[in-house]
Amino acid sequence: MTYNIAMVSDFFFPQPGGIESHIYQLSTKLIDRGHKVIIITHAYKGRTGVRYLTNGLKVYHVPFFVIYRESTMPTVFSFFPIFRNIVIREQIQIVHGHASLSSFCHEAILHARTMGLRTVFTDHSLFGFADAASILTNKLLKFILSDVDHVICVSHTCKENTVLRASLDPLMVSVIPNAVVAENFRPPEPRPIARPMEPNDIITIVVISRLFYNKGTDLLIAAIPRILASHPNVRFIIAGSGPKAIDLEQMLERNVLQDKVEMLGSVRHEEVRDVMIRGHIYLHPSLTEAFGTVLVEAASCGLYVVCTRVGGIPEVLPQHMTTFAKPEEDDIVLATGKAIAALRSNKVRTDRFHDQVKMMYSWTDVAERTERVYKGISGDISPEEFYGYYPGQGWEAGRDRVRSFALIDRLKRYYGCGVWAGKLFCLCVVIDFLLYVFLEMWFPRANIDIARSWPKKINQKENKRPGSTYKGDRLGPAS
Amino acid sequence: MLCRLTWGVIRVTDQRNCVFSANYRSITSCYKHESRCSSMPSLPDSPPPVPPPVPVETHPNRTVGVKPTAAQRALPDPNRLAPEDAYYTSSLPRARPTQTGYDDSLRVLNGNSGTAASVAALRPPPAVPGVGSRKVRGTSRRRRRKGAWKKLLWVKQSYPDNYTDTETFLDHLQRNPRVRPYDFWPLVADSTVIVQHVSSVAIFVCCFVGIVQGRVSPVSVVCWGSVGTALGWIFWDSWILREHVENAHVAERSLEGDDGSSSSSMTSSVNPSGTSSRANGQKENQVHGLGLNMSQGESSELLRRHSTGYVSDTYGAQEPASPTPGPANGALGGGSGSQEPDYLSMFSSRNRQRLSTVKSAFLIYFALLGLSPILKSLTKSTASDSIWAMSCWLLIMNIFSFDYGSGEGAGATKFPASLSTNAAVMASTVLASRLPSTTHVFSLMLFSIEVFGLFPIFRRQLRHVSWTGHVLLTLALVGVAGGAVGITLRGGWMAAVVGSILGSILTALAMGGCSWWLISLQKYKNVVTGPWDPARPIIRRHWD
Repeated sequence: MTYNIAMVSDFFFPQPGGIESHIYQLSTKLIDRGHKVIIITHAYKGRTGVRYLTNGLKVYHVPFFVIYRESTMPTVFSFFPIFRNIVIREQIQIVHGHASLSSFCHEAILHARTMGLRTVFTDHSLFGFADAASILTNKLLKFILSDVDHVICVSHTCKENTVLRASLDPLMVSVIPNAVVAENFRPPEPRPIARPMEPNDIITIVVISRLFYNKGTDLLIAAIPRILASHPNVRFIIAGSGPKAIDLEQMLERNVLQDKVEMLGSVRHEEVRDVMIRGHIYLHPSLTEAFGTVLVEAASCGLYVVCTRVGGIPEVLPQHMTTFAKPEEDDIVLATGKAIAALRSNKVRTDRFHDQVKMMYSWTDVAERTERVYKGISGDISPEEFYGYYPGQGWEAGRDRVRSFALIDRLKRYYGCGVWAGKLFCLCVVIDFLLYVFLEMWFPRANIDIARSWPKKINQKENKRPGSTYKGDRLGPAS
Repeated sequence: MLCRLTWGVIRVTDQRNCVFSANYRSITSCYKHESRCSSMPSLPDSPPPVPPPVPVETHPNRTVGVKPTAAQRALPDPNRLAPEDAYYTSSLPRARPTQTGYDDSLRVLNGNSGTAASVAALRPPPAVPGVGSRKVRGTSRRRRRKGAWKKLLWVKQSYPDNYTDTETFLDHLQRNPRVRPYDFWPLVADSTVIVQHVSSVAIFVCCFVGIVQGRVSPVSVVCWGSVGTALGWIFWDSWILREHVENAHVAERSLEGDDGSSSSSMTSSVNPSGTSSRANGQKENQVHGLGLNMSQGESSELLRRHSTGYVSDTYGAQEPASPTPGPANGALGGGSGSQEPDYLSMFSSRNRQRLSTVKSAFLIYFALLGLSPILKSLTKSTASDSIWAMSCWLLIMNIFSFDYGSGEGAGATKFPASLSTNAAVMASTVLASRLPSTTHVFSLMLFSIEVFGLFPIFRRQLRHVSWTGHVLLTLALVGVAGGAVGITLRGGWMAAVVGSILGSILTALAMGGCSWWLISLQKYKNVVTGPWDPARPIIRRHWD
């Protein structure tokens, strides 16, 4: 069974970033598995209209008003006409939205439910509950996710967060991690002769992150002089830019550390690997992180990872690849010292990291697990099997999880969102429904042309069979 | 039509809630049954129905604030997410009021998670086709039964992706972790600051009305105000001087090798007459800023760790409040003869400061004198209604933006916030244009500067120094304000007495009522924290 899937998000190439590459990689692997995938995003500067990417991945860049950091203006209904047009043209069955700050994705999920399509939402980030922005975002998320078919989170901490924020049934939330393209993050090619590290060898610590407050740059600024003071044969390479870069440079000047700390500025995602393989330890002092893909990338490059124990980070890498620290200056200095000592005593087999990471995370695996979600929501796996089977409970567990499209059922779900918010949301949904009826009358389906699909590969039969490619990929060439 | 639709929706929602609660009960009973079964010694080989709790310490450094005890954990505990659990540290399974709407949605969610998750744990992990290829580690039956779910992403597990583990799901969630329940009397004591300010604003307004109506001579008003200000300044100056001397003492003591905080605590134990006032001071310290600083213990610990100088400063400030200088003070004073020149230089610096204060006072005086004709005609062309409305709003702004903090701790300024002072001065400026002569304008402006600019500094210092004085000042202000309002409304001394009594009673009622209201509102507090919150970095700025 193959599906026609539309990935909807504000964030996509040409803008670089984690969500963007997640969408791209997932779509590519889903296409490899025989599905048809299109991506709907807003128009970027110099990129409007329809584009084809590698592998026949079709991207719609819809012109839309951007307000803040590439997020579009949240106008609840204005996206509907063109969205309906695209969905009908491409014969979409499943709408998959990404990122909770993308209003494009929220609107698409709402309209897709109105049009009777199955919806999935992937949450990539963590939010608090205290500040005003979070409260607003959480209310919006609750509105949208009241009527979503399934939610995917990138880590278990992210799942807990999303379940709390949107009042979801935890069984309707799957945890499917990010992955890395391990081939792009290989350790240095001509493998250096495995010789034991000598006590006076230079150890290079790499830091690659945007220099923002929530990435823990303050901790970094405080820790670097102390680490360098206690370990003379250590060098730092810092890549990334941001508002805290000035503080970092001031610290370097005050302590006269320019010859020991190299600042590279921002690097492109393709160059990250080239920076990483120059070092031995990757230091990640972030204060909040849903998944931390960069940690996996660093480990894949054969770096020993020192990171703070926040958010979803503790779930990402096994113990022998990481040293955890509290988000405190003293503890980071301590943990880095431990990591340096471990490397100096040759206890850590960093040369094996790449193959291990390759076995842990692959996009093929992610695509397969996402496909199971698609099967579950569109009824190809029975709800009992998908959501769990309750013998003798006498209560239809599957009933309210398999979301019906009847307007009254949808209104019931939205009504529970809050005393005032529930009524407001119901109003929005009713208007959306009326808009749909109006569009059906004014622009009938018969007048919309069906777009031709990209010709599928000849060997798709092999790809479609589950297990064969998957197994080979996961075990990797090493086996 | 729409109405009927809404009705249907409401009824259906109710039904849904009912279903949830029914599920609760069934799950609870089922769970009890289960635990009874497992307590029986029979069936040695049968697989445990619940996967055994594995201590996967993924986050060991996070303090779990209210970890339910073992007995509670055995239940599916629907109470786990209840706010009372965090709020009342005893964390008994309390009967929660059913009609509280505030956590209704969360209870529904709670029910969802509780039921669904516990059910998910009850069943053996289903064999899912398509996932089969993934469970390399757990393909053999025995391995899979043994393999408990782990909160890790890098292991391939034999559980489906939407598996929810009862043991670990949301176990790092904390509710209201740093909420300190308010006490009634400290709250009332704190509200005196607001009462003082509102009373002084009321007095100012009454004085203005009196001046406009010609009942009070503006010169007498400003004379009394100036006398009061001068007296206040003398007091303030002497307090500051004593504080400095005390600081020098404590600094000297800590230089001798004694830790600042321990020495001052020693002094307190030696000096019994000072303890009551210090207790007052400490209470005030604890509850300053409306009692909104939740983590007193934490902050005091921080202070102790942080800088002994700060601690000595605060204690030094409270020291002169002792009614009679204790023997310890005397002994210390006697023992420090070697510091005479130091003190002398300090005195001379004080004198220089005093001189500059007097100079600036005269500057303000003459500047006002010169400006008052301009101020008089500045807003003359504006209609009186606009003036009343504007001054009203400006005074309200002054009351709301006034800095009621005690002027210590991080971020506290030495002087009240400029916005409120500016608003008040502008209010008096626009009011001044309704006055008949330049003398009137000058008097009103000077009086407003005294009331809104200088009086708050004195009040703050008084509260710092002596709690009794603070209470007395509050009582006096409330009485005078009530009397002034009485006179303004009715006229005559009888009205003044009635007004002051009535005002005092009303103020007391309002203070008590508002405090009680705030305390009763506190049960709606629902702060949820967990591992998803951004961590607070702890940094020692040693390289500065």
